[in-house]
Amino acid sequence: MMMLAKQTLSRISLVAALALCLLLGDGLRSGVSSAGAQDVHLSGPLAAAPAVKKLRLWRDMRLHVEPFFAFTIGDEYSKSLIVGGELRFHFLDWLGIGGWGGYSVAKLDTNLAKEIRSKGVTRNANRLDLPNRENFPDQTGRVNWWSGVELHFVPFRGKLAMFQKVFFDADLDFFVGAAFVGIEERADAVGRPSPGDVAFCEFAGNAMDAGCLESQLARSKRTAIAPSFGIAFSAFFQDFLGVSFRWRGIPFSYNTGGTDNNNDGQIDSNDRLKQFNSMFTIGLIFVLPPKTKTTD
Amino acid sequence: MRDFGGIALLMAALLTAFPTATQAQMEFSLDEVDEAEAEPAKRSESQGDLIEELAAGDGDTADGPAEPEPQREEIAEEIYAVQQIYALRLKRLELAPSIAFTLNDPYLPHYGLGLALNYWFTNVLSLGLNFIWYDWGIDPLERGTNIVPRIQNQFRLGVPINDWQTGLWVNFTYVPFYGKFKVRKKIFQWDSYLVGGVGFMRTQPIPVFDPAVRSFDWQTNVAFNVGIGLRIFLTRYLTFFTEFRAYMWPDQFENVDVAPEGAGRNDPATWLQSESAFVANTSIQIGFTLFLPVKFEYRLPK
Repeated sequence: MMMLAKQTLSRISLVAALALCLLLGDGLRSGVSSAGAQDVHLSGPLAAAPAVKKLRLWRDMRLHVEPFFAFTIGDEYSKSLIVGGELRFHFLDWLGIGGWGGYSVAKLDTNLAKEIRSKGVTRNANRLDLPNRENFPDQTGRVNWWSGVELHFVPFRGKLAMFQKVFFDADLDFFVGAAFVGIEERADAVGRPSPGDVAFCEFAGNAMDAGCLESQLARSKRTAIAPSFGIAFSAFFQDFLGVSFRWRGIPFSYNTGGTDNNNDGQIDSNDRLKQFNSMFTIGLIFVLPPKTKTTD
Repeated sequence: MRDFGGIALLMAALLTAFPTATQAQMEFSLDEVDEAEAEPAKRSESQGDLIEELAAGDGDTADGPAEPEPQREEIAEEIYAVQQIYALRLKRLELAPSIAFTLNDPYLPHYGLGLALNYWFTNVLSLGLNFIWYDWGIDPLERGTNIVPRIQNQFRLGVPINDWQTGLWVNFTYVPFYGKFKVRKKIFQWDSYLVGGVGFMRTQPIPVFDPAVRSFDWQTNVAFNVGIGLRIFLTRYLTFFTEFRAYMWPDQFENVDVAPEGAGRNDPATWLQSESAFVANTSIQIGFTLFLPVKFEYRLPK
């Protein structure tokens, strides 16, 4: 037993020595490669200098207050115009956390919605989907308010020259988090007497809604939780002032048209369609404290 | 024998490690170079101002040894170097293959393969061509989104749709913005450019309203485009770029009204809408650019 143990011990020692030598060799090799990289710089005036000197820290332990204006893009029937604000605190120059919120102050109908309003045709077969074409914009789903919490990563930063005259600092902010949105949709309704041959609708408040005209305007509200992510380009002009251009994606499902999308003769939660909702935001960044620190 | 084998392995490992250690000794360390360079610098400090010494001539020696003059200006301890523009574009040809995705057509997705060719006649201005091919032989109604049948069923509305074949434009590109980004310890140079031009776009209406009778040929439309792009230099001749382009043209769609049989239904003149509609295709293009020649020379002031 002891003999075996001794042999095993010697083998283990040998293997350990071998591994140590290889590690040492690898370590030295990596050391050499980094020393080699330094050698390249030795002849230049920037030898051993850091990548950036006097780096302005726009985010490190600072608060960003950003009022913004936004509009949604890629909507089927109506676009939302949003006014809101964002608050971010950065623990490091490249990492922060923030919250945002906005309210849809107006909506713009798309060309498709305008076409439906002017040219849509109502028959018993599609009465549940389009009771009255004139009121179509009022039956579509919309998002009344938007909010969320997000983690911000700023891996890329630099400076930018404009027309070789104006210089300012800029960075790219990647963020991911959760969004909470207030959705308003057409209220649940059932087409009667049968799917595909609808003369009236039954919904909470009226069991005999002739022509489904009341149900077309009946609304329900809910809050949806969805992932949110995006990218922002920020440029800073003063110690305390910057501007940001932000794209944010928030995928969630809702009934965009207020229609019976699964053809089951009723309008309910099963008619919600997955939508990749996205918005473009223009914001003004106020940085607190207003004085910018710099590195050595 | 087993022990010898082990020793041989150990020797091999040491030999593997040794060359690197030897290499490490062969390298000039930062300290060594600093010391070597620092020595003459100290001497030069003790010599004082060379021009004053020359102006003084030999007269000082007659009066015996003089005390060194106090130095008037301190030598700057830090020297800042300004980096040259990383990659010059002047008199270079830019070859840029890309893929294009349409952002704003809810009815029909369009995927294009593009190629741009630009000649930079100043460092910030170029003239070039860009070409995009969209027609991949797939039935456009099969690649359509589900919104088309939804609109037909729910609103009893037909949607006139045009397919695209190709586009070719002559463009000017101007680079008003350039900068550099730091990613950990690496610095990437980048620029942002504005692009715009004129050319043509070939489109074809897809017969939806009377497919039994109507058929359409490709039609060529005058087209314009404007855009903004971002280019990141991976090397001095290879870049990654992404750009937002708006391609615009007046297009003729299928007539939604079908004339009765015998009153013009078979007349191709009634198949298209009488007025053109303005189409704005906003798209994202992603690709690489290759600058030729790959090498260039800086012109330094004499």
